[in-house]
Amino acid sequence: MILNVEHITKTFGKNQVLKGVSFEMGKQSLYGVVGENGSGKSTLLKIIVGEWKPDGGRVSVNGQLGYCPQETSLFSHLTVDEHFRYFAAAYGIERTTWPSRAESLLNDFNFKKYHHTQVAHLSGGTQQKLNLALALLHQPNLLILDEPYNGFDWDTYLRFWNYANRLRKEGCAILVVTHLITEKKRFDKIFNLNQGLLQ
Amino acid sequence: MSPRKITTGLVMIIKTLFRRRIILVALLVIPIVFLTVVELTAPTRYIPFRLASLDIHVFIHKSLKHIALVFFAVTFSGFLTSLLALFLIQIENDVNRRLVICGYHPFELLISNLLALILLIMAIAIYIGFLVSWFVPVKHFFMFLVGLMLIGFVYGCYGLSIGSLIKGKLEGVLFIVLLANIDAGWLQNPMYYAEAHNNIIIRYLPAYFPSQSAVIAAFTDYSAIHARFYSILYGSAFLILALLVFYNKMKIKNRPDHVR
Repeated sequence: MILNVEHITKTFGKNQVLKGVSFEMGKQSLYGVVGENGSGKSTLLKIIVGEWKPDGGRVSVNGQLGYCPQETSLFSHLTVDEHFRYFAAAYGIERTTWPSRAESLLNDFNFKKYHHTQVAHLSGGTQQKLNLALALLHQPNLLILDEPYNGFDWDTYLRFWNYANRLRKEGCAILVVTHLITEKKRFDKIFNLNQGLLQ
Repeated sequence: MSPRKITTGLVMIIKTLFRRRIILVALLVIPIVFLTVVELTAPTRYIPFRLASLDIHVFIHKSLKHIALVFFAVTFSGFLTSLLALFLIQIENDVNRRLVICGYHPFELLISNLLALILLIMAIAIYIGFLVSWFVPVKHFFMFLVGLMLIGFVYGCYGLSIGSLIKGKLEGVLFIVLLANIDAGWLQNPMYYAEAHNNIIIRYLPAYFPSQSAVIAAFTDYSAIHARFYSILYGSAFLILALLVFYNKMKIKNRPDHVR
């Protein structure tokens, strides 16, 4: 088992957003979580990655976790390469290893020509590619993606799914949270987060 | 603590700072403009004044212009450093949080910020120190620089604390402008201080010890070792507060259990 989420509860004021959410993910699984705006999808992800503390319940991760937040979370005055370098230090990836991984991600998502460009000068779509690439740099075996293809054009959307399928074949478990799923067949399982419970 | 993470953080913070034109303008232009205005407008009349940390019978005779130039050098050093520290700690907080999720320890990020701040303090003090010495004969230049660095340290750590405590940028700037204006820009002026009532209040404000240290070094042969010591103590108190608040805000609240 790669991810085990047990009886997660979370309340904000009088509003109980999560009422005992439980699920587990094994190797090579691709799950989706959908729900209306404000249904608690992002809350659930923030609890899984450890950013927020649940009121009750437990999260177990077996392996390395990669997290791509919904909002592009980048330094506007650093270049694409500098972001890879900074996050490689955070993940503890060897200095000799990360440049080739970064190069591979730049090629896979087709934004190599921007590698010396500061984020402030990138388009929204390219920023989103970098946002996603940073979550993949350390080759995680659990990938948590919050609305990952917001702002992607069709080509990048297809590249994203190609990459996701490749990762999956290598054993990675992928959890995609989105407000809209158009291609249900891509997922092994789709949960609907409704009134604090996964259905 | 990983030296690689700290040095990478430091390099990225310095790059982020110096790629913003407003920072360069603030650092290079503001001191020279303000000191030039003081030089052009302050009266040259000589007056006797006392310094609070020296004996009550010690009078220093200097021109109002020289006093104003040294005093404003101290004020600018404190104010600029404080603003930069606020900027360092508040800017792109969400990305810093992401770095923590990805493996940085909050203290590693804070140490990177602190090292960047120390470099800035030294650069600002040296730049303003040389500018002032161009207008005013400074008696002990190196010790005067130390005084400017100490105001930078105290006010820089104040900026870090405010930036850690307050989320809003505007509110943070307001807190810094208010204190820098009242304390470093007004109450610590030797001309005001000498005649002030209840000057015990002034002695407990953050700029008191560093400004005493700088003015003593600029105009006298007396020792300012106590003022320097208490400046470090004062700055360290702000630093500890900043460390605790920043750590509490940035730490991972519930790191998942790792089964493997």
